[in-house]
Amino acid sequence: MANAAAPTPKANMGAPAPRVDARLKVTGQARYPSDTPVGNPAFAVLVTSTIATGRIERLDLDGARAVPGVLDILTYENTGELKGVKFGQGSSTSIEDLGPEIQQAGQIIAVVVADTFEAATDAASRVKPTYSEQTPSATFGSPGVTQEDATKVSPQHKHLPQAGDAEAAFAGAPVVIDLEYETPPQHHNPMELFTTTCAWTADHLTVYEPSQFVYGLKNGVAQRLGIDPDKVRVVSSYAGGAFGSKGTMTPRTAMIALAAKRLNRPVKLVATRAQGFTIATYRAETRHHIRLGAARDGKLVGYSHEGFEVSSRPDPYVVAGVEDSAQLYAFGAVATKVNVVHADRNTPGYMRSPPVVPYIYALESAMDEMAQKLGMDPIAFRRVNDTMNSPIGNRPYSSRSLMTCYDQAAAAFGWKDRNPQPGAMRDGDWLVGYGCATAVYPTHTGPAAARVRLKPNGEARVQIAAHEIGNGAYTVIGQMAAERLGIDLASVTVEIGDSRLPPAPVAGGSNTTASSCSAVKKTCNLIRARLFHAAVTANDGPLAGRSADDLMLQDGKVVANDGAGESFADIFRRMGVAVVEDYAEFVPDGLKPQAIADLYAGKVDMVGGSHGDKVMYAMGAELVEVRVHVLTREIRVPRIVGAFAAGRLMNTRTVHSQLMGGMIWGISSALHEATEIDPRYARYVNDNLADYMIPVNADVDQVQVILVSEVDHDVNPAGVKGLGELANVGTAAAITNAVHHATGIRVRKLPIRLEKLLQA
Amino acid sequence: MRPFIYERVSDWAAATQAAGGGASAPVSYLAGGTTLVDLMRLDVMRPQRVIDINALQDGRYGRIELGQNGLRLGALVRMADAAAHPDVRHHYPVIGQSLQLAASAQLRNMASLGGNVLQRTRCTYFRDVSYAACNKRNPGSGCAALAGVNRMHAVLGGSDHCIATYPGDFGQALIALDATVDLISPDGARTIPFAKLHRQPGDTPDQETMLRPGELIVSFTVPAGPWTRRSLYLKVRDRQSYEFALASAAVALDLEDGAVREARIALGGVATVPWRAADAEAALRGKTIDEQTAMAAADAAFAGAQGHGHNDFKIELGKRTLRRALRQAAALEI
Amino acid sequence: MASVSTATVVPAFARASRATPAAANSGDARAPSDFTLTVNGRDHRLAVDSRTSLLDLLREHLALTGTKKGCDHGQCGACTVLLDGRRVVSCLTLAVAAQGRAVTTIEGLAKNGELHPMQQAFIDHDAFQCGYCTPGQIMSAIACVNEGHAETDADIREYMSGNLCRCAAYPNIVAAVRQARPAMKTASRD
Repeated sequence: MANAAAPTPKANMGAPAPRVDARLKVTGQARYPSDTPVGNPAFAVLVTSTIATGRIERLDLDGARAVPGVLDILTYENTGELKGVKFGQGSSTSIEDLGPEIQQAGQIIAVVVADTFEAATDAASRVKPTYSEQTPSATFGSPGVTQEDATKVSPQHKHLPQAGDAEAAFAGAPVVIDLEYETPPQHHNPMELFTTTCAWTADHLTVYEPSQFVYGLKNGVAQRLGIDPDKVRVVSSYAGGAFGSKGTMTPRTAMIALAAKRLNRPVKLVATRAQGFTIATYRAETRHHIRLGAARDGKLVGYSHEGFEVSSRPDPYVVAGVEDSAQLYAFGAVATKVNVVHADRNTPGYMRSPPVVPYIYALESAMDEMAQKLGMDPIAFRRVNDTMNSPIGNRPYSSRSLMTCYDQAAAAFGWKDRNPQPGAMRDGDWLVGYGCATAVYPTHTGPAAARVRLKPNGEARVQIAAHEIGNGAYTVIGQMAAERLGIDLASVTVEIGDSRLPPAPVAGGSNTTASSCSAVKKTCNLIRARLFHAAVTANDGPLAGRSADDLMLQDGKVVANDGAGESFADIFRRMGVAVVEDYAEFVPDGLKPQAIADLYAGKVDMVGGSHGDKVMYAMGAELVEVRVHVLTREIRVPRIVGAFAAGRLMNTRTVHSQLMGGMIWGISSALHEATEIDPRYARYVNDNLADYMIPVNADVDQVQVILVSEVDHDVNPAGVKGLGELANVGTAAAITNAVHHATGIRVRKLPIRLEKLLQA
Repeated sequence: MRPFIYERVSDWAAATQAAGGGASAPVSYLAGGTTLVDLMRLDVMRPQRVIDINALQDGRYGRIELGQNGLRLGALVRMADAAAHPDVRHHYPVIGQSLQLAASAQLRNMASLGGNVLQRTRCTYFRDVSYAACNKRNPGSGCAALAGVNRMHAVLGGSDHCIATYPGDFGQALIALDATVDLISPDGARTIPFAKLHRQPGDTPDQETMLRPGELIVSFTVPAGPWTRRSLYLKVRDRQSYEFALASAAVALDLEDGAVREARIALGGVATVPWRAADAEAALRGKTIDEQTAMAAADAAFAGAQGHGHNDFKIELGKRTLRRALRQAAALEI
Repeated sequence: MASVSTATVVPAFARASRATPAAANSGDARAPSDFTLTVNGRDHRLAVDSRTSLLDLLREHLALTGTKKGCDHGQCGACTVLLDGRRVVSCLTLAVAAQGRAVTTIEGLAKNGELHPMQQAFIDHDAFQCGYCTPGQIMSAIACVNEGHAETDADIREYMSGNLCRCAAYPNIVAAVRQARPAMKTASRD
């Protein structure tokens, strides 16, 4: 029986090996950080502020302290020893203190520690703060928000893309559209709650916390505690979903570390789902003003895009996705601007495909509207504007297979059956609409280091502090080692997620496979070279005197192309070693050698995307069918087809799952997800999984993933572009476009809820 | 969660005695626990004693009985079991469907029918004790939902004091079919119409039902009628499953030569209590169900509806839901 | 054959402060409740806080951390276990109220190292990514088949909707249930 989950590899694709951690995950033995046994833990429960801005005047702890079993309560009055870590330099937010100043709703104001979880929870509910409260500014349009030009306040975004004279282009264009779009706040809501367990042994701290960057967390926590980073170890063998939420240090970690230190006992925190909405980050709401100008034949002549993004009062978090959207088509002239709007909210942060999700949604919706205005098929319109060179500086793409993706997806979907007239397709009581959009994600590669040990029996151990967040890191890293060392995947043990291992970058920006596999490849190549050298320089033996260039590793042996070979065991014996072990540091082209030292210190720099002489992007085409009930207007997505090209694919099984899950994320962001804010209080009101909608199984029917072969030698030694954040980009636009096709109604504010389609 | 004394009882006398009028501290019955444990963990409910009544299950609390005169559903029957029961599905499809379309398989396995009809509203301002204004939690404190985020709130049966939606589905089926509720307490047994069980908020939204202290639901009795087979429950929501209704309609029709002899209609997701739409029923009597009569009935059902901003759409959605349900019920092949 | 273990939840110093172990009904709401519970075929004699959920009991007192906490309010299904063979959410089940009943968790499925057909099917169809919701999905899926709610894909989707998967492995989960269904039927005939 065909197994859709394990597609047959095409050119430049790796085998669909089952996940090496699969057995642990289906038996409940995979240890997520809060599963780790620590001796006699005390339990911490957080108390968070119910106001968004103001000051704690009094904190009545008597009721809480009276609860039997309560051991300690941390507040602003006894946590002064915690040091601040700047936003953007290891911390997700500047709002790190437990008060007395309150700068966001849901700010942690107390940590209650007790012998049992039940007692700690009970006591936490009895902590009684008295606030002096100010009227908060909640979001766009609220009185008191302030606005800044992103290029002035965000060091990462000092220059935004510009090309030619966009105003002149619009003035001369026969067809112009001028539109605004809006996206809501969204929360990652990984299934795993935000947890932290801290245990001290003398002056050494071990932190068990789900993390996308154990080195960042290690160094950040050390800084907050004012201790040597070498005395901090962070362990995150598995993260129960992350999506960006576990990439940067949040304030809770140092608090739990301090609580454990004060008690001289391990302390375990499992924050509530509701607290997760405010003690970590989220995708902020955005607004977009887009203009496109085109000639009658569909050739674009100008694109302008001004973005507005909400951030917290103190921090200029901004994603500035125009950096990527501006590369996407042959736009002609380009003008972009991004504004940060400061409100009394927690600081936003990376959430799956941070820059491109909102900006490409807006652009790809506008592309559809322009195609409609031109009377063109939306795929044909994109083909007319396809390009192998970025309009920004006319730099070439390292590779680009967008239209191949469209062609393969369109054929599989049956796009030719689309009646271009909106509202013309119907099946019984359901209006049917087809829509499409482009998925795009910048390729990122970062520095990484790896240690690999090979034993004479052909078993290997790979050590690299990469992160398993569902991305298949254990598996693809093992596959790279197995391939380079000529052994079975089953013979490779992969150790990741521990700051005692050589460092890897944050599992963000879809760089894990590219960076880690490049480092593992480099390390394995050192081992290969040593074995080859030993084999060819021997006085005797089957490979003596040959050229190392003619050798390879296969089935636990060094072999020549004529079939001659020598076992690892024999070579090791001659070398006089029990194991061969190497360590290598990989620094991608374009980064300084210092990058590895920085990585050890918890700082990560990456190359790729829109920067550099060549622009590097993974791309895809998503085609979707929506159904809208003719009367009650429920919106359902029975079918979505995506074709994606992302350089080398290490494992078609894990890749398929990421792309499939990504498209469902896209459906979710189009139809379901929105964190609702009560502007009176600047608070999130649907801070739970019954009210914050994500799709359930019944919402998902046919999801087809097409893997498009693509070879790219420029991106990195592994040839991998990374695609964990590709497939959820563009989907919201594809669905918006399909809803328009089904109903004739154009929704320009996400999510698309049925009330927006109830108009007569 | 606050500490409580847990007691298991095996007969109703012990149960109602433990929970009855003489009890000095707040007491709650525990059946499935899907509302109680949830709200205790949120600190909304703070019983000092919890009386576990699951051991009563062996008596008439746990049975489903179909007789000549109707259907009797024990209060401790689990939602999943009632939903799957062949007699319920065949003779009272609206009941089976209302249960089937609620919650998840796990929750339906846990939740009892008695607890189901007593489930509390999903209003955020009620469920999150850090919001000061909630007349349901703290009488006299105000209603944060009136000018708050109220997409899910009620457009029927609200007051200036509360617009919290009754979240259930089964209750709509019961009220549409003129069910009665059998109750027991230390003062004795009594039977009341299901329609009298819930109270509209008025100026006392904290008082949600007519139950007396310690009173326990024993069973529901649904009278037989020529309309029960031609019945259905239509639930409209954002997700395909596992979500409370934006709008729902329980409809049962008795047709004669295509004309409505009797219609039974209740609305969910839009009202503060299980909502019987008597005006809509009257509007249909003697008529053939078509687009026009369905629309007239829907208009009648929502004649007194009032939106509060985000939930304005529920008036139109509720009408369309009812129209769709009526057309669908009329077209059923029985 | 069931063995007996005693798991104590009351921390040492608190127990010392109490002269005699308090029984349920003692009138002291903070006194632990004593009861027995069968987990994966093994009887446990327990003394736990009445507030302790079955989920926290499994995770924090019996070291069975395969069952996951995703919301603690019955909204995600990550904590799904079988109670007397029926799937329930363990977060909304008070441990004390489960006394005398039989609990099956993800750790109780594999027999002598051989995976349950549902576990194998989840591997074969890559029915997870991060794996956090997976124990709950598998427990739910087994019940789904046993209930007879896995006969069509549409049924599987509907009856598996109580288990959220943020990685969105849903189509693969459906395929896994479809594969395991006949294997489970064969196994139950053996």
